[in-house]
Amino acid sequence: MKLRDVAIGANASIYYKLDFKRIKGVFYPRTTGELSQVIKMASEKGLDITMKGGGSGLSGACTGGDSERVMVSTLQMNDIISVNLKGGYADVETGVTPDELNARIGVDGYKFWVAPSSRDIATVGGLISTDGGGNDAWVNGTMRDNTIWVKMLLSTGDEITVSHEGVRADDSELEARLNEIGMNLGDVASAHGTLGAITKMRLKIKPIDGQRLRGGIAEFEDANALGNALAKMIDKQIPIAYGESIVYAHPHIKSILNPPLLILEYPEASHDVLSDITNMRQLSRNETDAMKAIRLQLPKRNPNEGVQIALFEGYGFHDQSLARLQEAVDRIHALLMENEFVPFAQYGHAPSKWYLGDNTPAYGIIMHSREIQPADKSGIEKFKVVKQIVNLCKELDITPKPEHKWIFSDKTKLDRLRELRSVVGTRFNSFVLDPNCDRILEAMA
Amino acid sequence: MEEYERCVRCGSCLKFCPLFQVTGEEQYSPRGKAYLLQVMDQIEDDQELGKEFRQLLFQCTMCGRCAEICSSDVDLLEIWHRQRARALETAPEEFEYLESLRESLANVKNIYGFSPEDRAVFWIDELIDELPNIEDRIYAPGKTAETVVFLGCLMSFRATQVDVVKALFKTLEKMDADYLVMGAEEFCCSHPLHLMGRDDAAVDLRKHNKEVIEATEANTLVTCCPGCLIQLARYHDLEGIAVLHHTQFFARELETLAPSHSAKNFAYHDPCELHRIMNVRKEPRALMDMLDIEYRDLDAACCGGGGLLRMTDPNLSDKIIEFRKESENLEDMVVLTCCPSCREQLLNAGLKTRDIVELLFDSLAEGG
Repeated sequence: MKLRDVAIGANASIYYKLDFKRIKGVFYPRTTGELSQVIKMASEKGLDITMKGGGSGLSGACTGGDSERVMVSTLQMNDIISVNLKGGYADVETGVTPDELNARIGVDGYKFWVAPSSRDIATVGGLISTDGGGNDAWVNGTMRDNTIWVKMLLSTGDEITVSHEGVRADDSELEARLNEIGMNLGDVASAHGTLGAITKMRLKIKPIDGQRLRGGIAEFEDANALGNALAKMIDKQIPIAYGESIVYAHPHIKSILNPPLLILEYPEASHDVLSDITNMRQLSRNETDAMKAIRLQLPKRNPNEGVQIALFEGYGFHDQSLARLQEAVDRIHALLMENEFVPFAQYGHAPSKWYLGDNTPAYGIIMHSREIQPADKSGIEKFKVVKQIVNLCKELDITPKPEHKWIFSDKTKLDRLRELRSVVGTRFNSFVLDPNCDRILEAMA
Repeated sequence: MEEYERCVRCGSCLKFCPLFQVTGEEQYSPRGKAYLLQVMDQIEDDQELGKEFRQLLFQCTMCGRCAEICSSDVDLLEIWHRQRARALETAPEEFEYLESLRESLANVKNIYGFSPEDRAVFWIDELIDELPNIEDRIYAPGKTAETVVFLGCLMSFRATQVDVVKALFKTLEKMDADYLVMGAEEFCCSHPLHLMGRDDAAVDLRKHNKEVIEATEANTLVTCCPGCLIQLARYHDLEGIAVLHHTQFFARELETLAPSHSAKNFAYHDPCELHRIMNVRKEPRALMDMLDIEYRDLDAACCGGGGLLRMTDPNLSDKIIEFRKESENLEDMVVLTCCPSCREQLLNAGLKTRDIVELLFDSLAEGG
């Protein structure tokens, strides 16, 4: 074993204590050809294959669990192959980040409109695998909405192209079988690397419209008021270009913040209708940028003493649960405190859009959470709290984890992946579908 | 709690790390190294991995960019210093090549192993025809001046630095500055020991330098080397003496300069230790603006010459400067900088480079 076999485990989730002896090879292919050779070798040796992008995700899917596996980083497959401004798309390799693509097309006045806070390191291949979105997902959609097709290598060695319309493959029999069961881009989105290795993608790019936006902040009495305001904004389909909520902030990072609050950017024309919903205090350009920067750094900040942790990444509130946001936050805080975790920050894109396991869209707030971890908690103890949170979400009838952040117990999605894997092969990231997935994760926490 | 435990492994440092840029592999990145520390309990029994990790700690330019961009406020630079010290303490036999450097500093007080007296020989030979009185500027007991110049090992001994040394002294003369240069009484500033995490071995060097500097009764200490600047400003305990980089000194002293008539294609490279660690950003630019020079700012990235990397892994050091040469189209540029170590690195890569003080002297010579 070499250090490169250990360092590949570096990722932002709480699942980082890997059993390194079960990693049988680490690869950083530069081309599809090199990746193809890795897949062939792994298949011949009967090894699982785990693909890893930037490692900024919080689900732990890029760890590969405890399978005997090879780990493949896509960070060196990062060419922007071509840009077609007129056609409104860019063809890129899987390891490109949104920031890299935007640096290239920004000079021509174009933008790739998926902007997660990890856009500096998250790869587009990783983002489609989690169906990530950003603070503008409400108007621009998630990764799947901004992807035209992906090319994937399967463990059989076949290459397929998956679009919203279906699958194309050189092997006509394979193509027919996959189209028969209705495989499309919605299946690849948030598959967490269980179907194959994404190599190339065609991404939608659009002009930076230069629309005059107004920046504003709305502070609320409690989280229910915030949730109700969001429900009205969603109902009226206000084209909010940037929407972020800060539901709670610990005194160490509270600074000038007075949560619960919303930071919004919206077209001038929407001001009146927004003002009917809530009191918006206008922000100058500099103030808006400052607030955005504060929000952007929240996931990475640490308390003055101790370390933050993300026990559970995505609490999805939509439809009726928006009106009970405060109750849910109170219960979550109580649960955390009972387990000696101090609530540190709760925030998230809002209004936002995401997809449920059955591919139906949901609209509301995906609330992320950070806690200050007690010094003496073991990984197993931490994971027990995670499971308590999962149960609490079910009890409160808030969307039990938007599945793109928490695939492991979304039965609808898992069943669909099993169906697809019966055709495309079962070599990729199998632990996600392991009935003992919880135990595997617990051991890595 | 150890500082590395505060890293949340978000990965924002990866793309900024010069080592990651040229290797593309996680273990060379700040996140990778911090992660290895976080899981060390799982791998520390493996002696080979331990050895590999100790080597990895010295495959770093110590440029500090990771610490600068870290949103979690993890003091990564401090981590690398501590871990380097620990590595040397744990397995000194793996670092014999560094031990010879330490011995050289202990015995002859410079990094090249030359006789201490030679410190004020090479560059004087080069300057004596143009500045016949330069020997009068060499410190000897009893001599005092307002300003004392600390040349540093690179500028005292390397032929590649002579043009900068000449420009420095000729500029000081042109300004009628009251100055002395420490000459053979100058000992290494101890920066290489600091980069090894061996500050314990730096005590005598610093003590001697402090005594000489104080004996000059100078109120200002000037150095062209950002590494020396760090040591002199932070670790020499000099009270009542302004420790300045030469760009700071000249920016304070010079009010006007004749515009440079050079139509060259200039780019400015910020030395990491100067702009990131010592926060000297404005003064080099103020001087270039006074000279009315058009230049483009290069990415605030390391040239590959820092952190002892040229010594510990010259191959990686070369790769970093080659990467920058290509990614920033430096082939046809004149790269302006103000650090002897960066200058060495740029020249090694076949690039054209000038120190800002060379342009200053050109301007003054033209009557500015």
